[in-house]
Amino acid sequence: MVGLSLGEKHFIQGGIDQNLRSDGRKRDAYRPISIETGVIPQANGSARIRIGATEVIASVKAELGRPNALQPDKGKVAIFVDCSPVAEPMFEGRGGEELSAELSVALQRCLLGGKSGAGAGIDLSSLIVAEGKICWDLYIDGLVISSDGNLLDALGAAIKAALSNTGIPRVQVAAGASGDEQPEVDISDEEFMQFDTSGVPVIVTLTKVGRHYIVDATSEEESQMSSAVSVSISRKGQICGLSKRGSAGLDPSVISDMISVARHISEQLINKLDSEISAAEADEDEM
Amino acid sequence: MEFVNPEGLRLDGRRPMEMRQLRAQIGAVAKADGSAVFEMGNTKVIAAVYGPREVQNRSQQINDQALVRCEYSMANFSTGDRRRKPKGDRRSTEISLVIRQAMEECILTNLMPRSQIDIYVQVLQADGGTRSACINAATLALADAGIPMRDLVTSCSAGFLNSTPLLDLNYVEDSAGGPDVTVGILPKLDKVTLLQMDAKLPIDTFENVMQLAVEGCKAIANYIREVLLENTKQLEYRRGL
Repeated sequence: MVGLSLGEKHFIQGGIDQNLRSDGRKRDAYRPISIETGVIPQANGSARIRIGATEVIASVKAELGRPNALQPDKGKVAIFVDCSPVAEPMFEGRGGEELSAELSVALQRCLLGGKSGAGAGIDLSSLIVAEGKICWDLYIDGLVISSDGNLLDALGAAIKAALSNTGIPRVQVAAGASGDEQPEVDISDEEFMQFDTSGVPVIVTLTKVGRHYIVDATSEEESQMSSAVSVSISRKGQICGLSKRGSAGLDPSVISDMISVARHISEQLINKLDSEISAAEADEDEM
Repeated sequence: MEFVNPEGLRLDGRRPMEMRQLRAQIGAVAKADGSAVFEMGNTKVIAAVYGPREVQNRSQQINDQALVRCEYSMANFSTGDRRRKPKGDRRSTEISLVIRQAMEECILTNLMPRSQIDIYVQVLQADGGTRSACINAATLALADAGIPMRDLVTSCSAGFLNSTPLLDLNYVEDSAGGPDVTVGILPKLDKVTLLQMDAKLPIDTFENVMQLAVEGCKAIANYIREVLLENTKQLEYRRGL
């Protein structure tokens, strides 16, 4: 909960109007981003990301499962988000459940595409081991450790980093199994498959405060928002998902304007994230 | 199964009376009043303290002392196999209670009447001894929040496998079915605030095992004191003193 006085509210809104926010940033500037990969040794891939005072961890675990009968040539991915009470006392007990559900659904929408798996940022057909019989199930868990606004962008970036850190063991399928029999598999301990994460989109949230919109809002700024639009954009500039939060209505022309701004910002963000991720991977290799 | 090999080494290469590597870092959560990360080998927990602040639920207010609350939660990815468990299962409720009681004992609650102190602990990686790690992390976080305390509380576990007392059990040793003695002490006052054991042990062996755990607690207390001292020096330096 953010408790702000009238004066503080005016200060935040006035700053955004004049393109100089309370922490000295411009409307389209991100806070400093830092990424660390391989933070959870038990997982197949993991990453921790800090954007200002916001901190999240994402982990990827892979398990062998059976593909869905309707899509025999695709693996399955599930995303869950948990808000730890460490981040905010409000999340105590069941208090964080609503926000967790909102974030999980928004991430699924932004990263996994439609129900059929079409348009997913993650290439689901690369998860298949034996068509119709065995596939990898990816469980992506996000955990919010410190919350200072812009959780969705941070989680999206953390998942992108965790996926590029993920190694999935190579699987040998024993030949000879026929018909409906479940074939035997041999999971390699040494050989790992790396994921192609170049298609994984980033999420850019534009928060509308007053007449202007800002990126990477802090929780103080978020408390003043009228509505927010989260756009997930791939490197090619394609829009992979979109969600609008907040109760105030938006003019359709404003939305298309916001999308084009988000596209422009996403280019810088993707480059920034890529360089941070490769730096983090290099750091990890050195250790 | 052999937990101590003939050379006297344990599964992870430690000696029976050796502790896992300790690591601590203060100030991990920017918005909390006090926070800390505490690692014992592969076990890693994060603790945050909010307060003393106004009591949220008026009916719980105590007129002559502070209300101390604690919540323990485990991340989905903290254990070896991923599992989705409901929040507030019996195990977490019990651990929350244990941590609360241990911390309540050392906080000078009478100095902060009609207020509330919240302690939240989150397990990031579980490899045995989460209970102890949580208490140690909570102590550091409380100290970081500047909450008046009688003493530090530190905790450590010890077990007894292959007729050898073992200090600071990891997950494999913990689930071997032998006794697991978790002790929490106030090192300066030299008092035991927490003592739990499962399985059975002859009394004279129990005394040895408990003594070992107490020694472990003292070693952790020394480490925590060093970390706090280093942190204070840093703060002093930043203020330009």
